[in-house]
Amino acid sequence: MTDRLENSGKWGGYLEVSAEEITLGEPLTMSAVVFGAPIEGFTYNYGWSRNGSWEPGEWETTFARTGARTRQTSYTFTPPKAGKYMLYLDFVDENGLQLTIQRPVTVIDAEIMRADTEELPDVPGDDVIISVRDVSMIFNMASEQFNSLKEYAIALARGELRFKEFRALNHINFDIRRGESFGLVGTNGSGKSTMLKIIAGVLDASEGSCTVRGTIAPLIELGAGFDMELTAAENIYLNGSLLGYRKEFIDEHFDDIVAFAELEEFMDMPLKNYSSGMVARIAFAVATITEPDILIVDETLSVGDFLFQRKCEQRIQELVDSKNVTVLLVSHSIELVERICQRVCWIEKGQQRMIGPVDKVCAAYKSLSE
Amino acid sequence: MAKEIEQSLTGEAMAPAASDAWYPTRQRDVYIIRQLVTRDFKLKYRRSTLGVAWSVLNPLLMMAVMAAVFSQFMAQRDPTIGNYPLYLILGNTAFTLMNDATSQGMRSIIDASSLLKKVKINRYVFPVQKVLFAVLNYVFSLVAVAIVMLFFHVLPTAHALLLPVPVALLAVFCIGLALLLSTASVFFRDVIHLWSVVITAWTYATPLFYSTNILPAWMVRLELFNPMYHYVTFIRDVMLWHQLPALSTVLGCIVCAAISLAIGIVVFRKNERKFILYI
Repeated sequence: MTDRLENSGKWGGYLEVSAEEITLGEPLTMSAVVFGAPIEGFTYNYGWSRNGSWEPGEWETTFARTGARTRQTSYTFTPPKAGKYMLYLDFVDENGLQLTIQRPVTVIDAEIMRADTEELPDVPGDDVIISVRDVSMIFNMASEQFNSLKEYAIALARGELRFKEFRALNHINFDIRRGESFGLVGTNGSGKSTMLKIIAGVLDASEGSCTVRGTIAPLIELGAGFDMELTAAENIYLNGSLLGYRKEFIDEHFDDIVAFAELEEFMDMPLKNYSSGMVARIAFAVATITEPDILIVDETLSVGDFLFQRKCEQRIQELVDSKNVTVLLVSHSIELVERICQRVCWIEKGQQRMIGPVDKVCAAYKSLSE
Repeated sequence: MAKEIEQSLTGEAMAPAASDAWYPTRQRDVYIIRQLVTRDFKLKYRRSTLGVAWSVLNPLLMMAVMAAVFSQFMAQRDPTIGNYPLYLILGNTAFTLMNDATSQGMRSIIDASSLLKKVKINRYVFPVQKVLFAVLNYVFSLVAVAIVMLFFHVLPTAHALLLPVPVALLAVFCIGLALLLSTASVFFRDVIHLWSVVITAWTYATPLFYSTNILPAWMVRLELFNPMYHYVTFIRDVMLWHQLPALSTVLGCIVCAAISLAIGIVVFRKNERKFILYI
């Protein structure tokens, strides 16, 4: 008898799937791949579970169905519902030693998705304030990172300067109308911040066009438009100037900003003595003291305490109700999006998944992203 | 009465019309630069007891040490040099202006990275602001120059009124360099280290504590290609030697400023859109 350690050093395996993402109704094939040993020498157990559930109907294994492991090296099934699936495969060799591999696969309900793509006119209407047309963002990732002239020169001389293309956004299309509250959702790294940067005008899209009509007020986070050594009052002016406010305008609304941020007693204290929540309050107060055409709200908002977050939400709601301000919310907190937004665009791995009313998109997003 | 009306007007404007709140682009940049210079000023002098006095003391102390060491030597080698301490401090302060402006301007884009990732601001404001801040500090250091002039009874003549000309040209020269260096340092961080070496070499290559009269002829010809030589000479002409600068000096200052600014603007413009990918 050999022990497990020695044995697992001798052979290994992995699970191959026909696709990492399929639409509902399509079959999915799992295949076993073994290395270091002949594939015939194994028995297998294929299994899956939907959304991490072990309720009846939500999971299945070949062992549970037939009562024995199979010698088949691949197994095909049709997922019954949309959702996040986890696929399992047990490899068992003739000594009874077992290796289990799991792999996630997403099953999308194409009917829901199709129902909520929007037909966009070629020329956006008059009430459209942000118009995103066929926007793609391609990053050229240097296969190596050059931070020094020497490395760069050597690579250049050797002709080894290679670039990998990385598509952070792929043909994104949407219109945002004046006075609308619009949300961008997606998991981390899905490309929503890239989209936001393109709208904010700090990043140029590689392809397509993004037209923005009007002034944009972003919430500037700690460490960007704020200086820790300056007092809160000085920071209000600095921050306001960076947003493009007139000096007289800041003078005039200084008290309103302070009152909204609820920091009257602390105005002459250097910012480094503030908590991050207090800074977030100032940032929010400065950005929302007037009615910008477009207010960009991102994760910065989540720093403040519960009461202040509620106050911010109220203010955002007021701005939305005024019908003059377009609120663009970017968050992976789906609850916040559900409370504030009317319409949502879901971006996943750079692809535009779905766009439409908040309840539909968020329901679909939640069913697939948990 | 008039005040009341005014108040009721502003009271009505509680929900301010958007057009009142924002500057048009050009004015906006000016106000941002002003705010940033104010910030730097406050940061530099806050919580230091002597505050702005450091801008005066620093060049005075430098001058005192260098004058003590080199006075005897330079007086023998070149009697035409004039008041040597004043010669020193005029050169040193001008060179410090260039050093501060370019070194800080170079880092300005990298330092503003988190802001540039979020807000659409014309990127040139950051290097330009650092140069203007350096000019502001130069103005304070002129107090030190005045102290030296008083101490040695060197009274300024009408020529001194021309001082803003070389300083402005030097500032333009520095803006060009700051634009160029800030662009280069975004892509290659080692430019920052390289530049400190260049500055050190440049300090010795510029007649700050020696005069060109003690240099061999080939070195003197080479100095014509040293922009700082022209700026320092212009400043000394009007402040120390009480004479109008030679035409070649004035031209040298103008040409260097123009070339530097042109290269700076072209390089910056061409690359600024790519900054965000590297910061």
